[in-house]
Amino acid sequence: MGTRVFIVDDHQPFRAIARELLERAGYVVSGEAADAAEALDAVAADAPDAVLLDVQLPDRDGFAVATELAAGDGPAVVLISSRQADDYGRRVEACGARGFISKSKLSAAAFAALLE
Amino acid sequence: MLLLPVVVAAGLAVGRLGLHGHVSGMRVAADLALSWALVAAALAVRVRPRWRRSGLLLASASFALLGADLVWAASNALWTLGFLLEGLWAALLVHIVLAFPDGRPWSRVAQVAISGAYVATLGGQLVGAFVDRDTRNVLGLAPHETIAHTVDRTQEIAAIVVGLVVLVLVVRRLRILGGPARRAQGPLLAAAAVTAASAVISLGWVLATDSVDSAIETIVRAVAVSMPLGVVAGIVWSRLRRPELSALVVELPTRAGSMRERLAQALGDPTLEVAYRLADGRSVDATGRPVSLPDGPDRTVTAVTAGGEEIAALVHDPALLDEPALVESVRATAGLLLENERLAAEVRSQLAEVHASRGRIVTAADDERRRIERDLHDGAQQRLVTLSVALGLEAARADPAAADVLSRAQDDVEGALAELRELARGIHPALLRDEGLEAAVEALARRAPLPVTVHGTVGGRLSDPIELAAFFVVSEALTNVAKHASATEASVLLEREPAALQVAVVDDGIGGARVTPGSGLAGLRDRLEALDATLTVESEAARGTTLRAFIPCGS
Repeated sequence: MGTRVFIVDDHQPFRAIARELLERAGYVVSGEAADAAEALDAVAADAPDAVLLDVQLPDRDGFAVATELAAGDGPAVVLISSRQADDYGRRVEACGARGFISKSKLSAAAFAALLE
Repeated sequence: MLLLPVVVAAGLAVGRLGLHGHVSGMRVAADLALSWALVAAALAVRVRPRWRRSGLLLASASFALLGADLVWAASNALWTLGFLLEGLWAALLVHIVLAFPDGRPWSRVAQVAISGAYVATLGGQLVGAFVDRDTRNVLGLAPHETIAHTVDRTQEIAAIVVGLVVLVLVVRRLRILGGPARRAQGPLLAAAAVTAASAVISLGWVLATDSVDSAIETIVRAVAVSMPLGVVAGIVWSRLRRPELSALVVELPTRAGSMRERLAQALGDPTLEVAYRLADGRSVDATGRPVSLPDGPDRTVTAVTAGGEEIAALVHDPALLDEPALVESVRATAGLLLENERLAAEVRSQLAEVHASRGRIVTAADDERRRIERDLHDGAQQRLVTLSVALGLEAARADPAAADVLSRAQDDVEGALAELRELARGIHPALLRDEGLEAAVEALARRAPLPVTVHGTVGGRLSDPIELAAFFVVSEALTNVAKHASATEASVLLEREPAALQVAVVDDGIGGARVTPGSGLAGLRDRLEALDATLTVESEAARGTTLRAFIPCGS
């Protein structure tokens, strides 16, 4: 069975395209959420292997959510944003995420590289 | 004026009683001196209408003192009346001092002390009269030696407490009073301090020895004579220090110093302030800062008019109201002089308003920038990102010819996204908002097309306008370096000084940079000036360029 991934992004068209991209590469998308609260509940119940997490969520800061998700035996968190890593300075390294992918550069290969 | 013969006659009559009753001549003389001095002071304060209540209290104290001496009379009824009035004159003196000069108690504590003085004297005597065992006491319904003794001791302790409170309040007031008020009230306050101290000491002696010594009572009364004399001395001192009105009118325009200083000097009130009335009804000081006119007994406002229009208000010590002619002549002379200062104050006020308005415009523009950046991120950027990923996905499964077209389309979208990101960063950098100035400047340095080193530290977050201004200094400077300077390297200095943030960008390029109207540097200077910041450009030909800003940020 493939790696189970949960997608968190408030932009529905992007979630759809990310799901297709990941599924085509053999990942299993276990669920989607549009905000931090929904994501934290679903991830706690579903225990995916990885979370693709947008930095800018409507209810909470994505970095704080990443820190919370990645704590303990949590899933691997990969941050995504329409901005670039450079726009966030040291916060990407400090939050406990595996890495950062600029949304326009999202590919199965880039995602897999961060999960290794 | 009828008061004087009445008190003199009453005094003589009481004096005669005393001498007949074998009271010591010194004691009779002390009582007469005090009562006559009190009534003389009551007459003297008639020259100051605001002191009318103090005059009534002075006259009352005079009669109360003579009334208390009725204990020297042979009649039992008069003796009892004298017994009841014993000490009332002292309570009245406390009232005079703690409500001087206009008869209103200085403070709540003063009010309590005055009430305490009346209760301790009049109230104590009334209670004492019922239990006093003296055979002449016609009110002695329940004579009881122990209770009478206890009442006496309680009165003495209460009087000592009141005396100490008076001493503290008087000394404190002497220290804070200045100008005309000090001249008018100082002598009485000094006399009151000495009298209160002597009364406390004598009462302490009585309490310690449990015996009343007539000589001590005489001394206290003799010391108390200084109080009515102090009232008169205050009036005389104020008169002596009053400048000649005619000289004042001639000198006022030519004296040195600001109008406030000249008026303060002329009126002898160093606390005097001038509030200029602007056309829109607001009041400002000479620097154009808004001021509110005081509303209370400690300050008085006198309006100054010119050409029928109120142009200023003098805020001064109420003691000046005792010199109405003086204030009136200064008011008349100052009118035209103050009009010039009022116009200057109005210009300063308008300048301050323009400055504040510019600050508000910059803040509003920054808020708008933040909103546009967010809209770009949430809207166009998101759509383009999704489109780019979708094009990449389709390219992967399309035939080679279609894949080529889709890949080129994806490259175009990527190009548009990169331009949009740069635009958003220039409008309002997200990193500056989230991480602060140092992180944002380091990101600028990394993205610059030439090596840029960043030195110094700002020691934490600063306010939004300061961080934005500093960021734009670095951003504009590095943009100019990249476009025009032909430099091989540049450095950025961020340094937090006690009262300002220094931001400097130095390059080794060709120099020749100038601030020209409509340029990015001119816009930057406008933004900085709204924060009272300065921007300097040193840029000699072939010697590189240094752009330096000092942005005030408090300590």
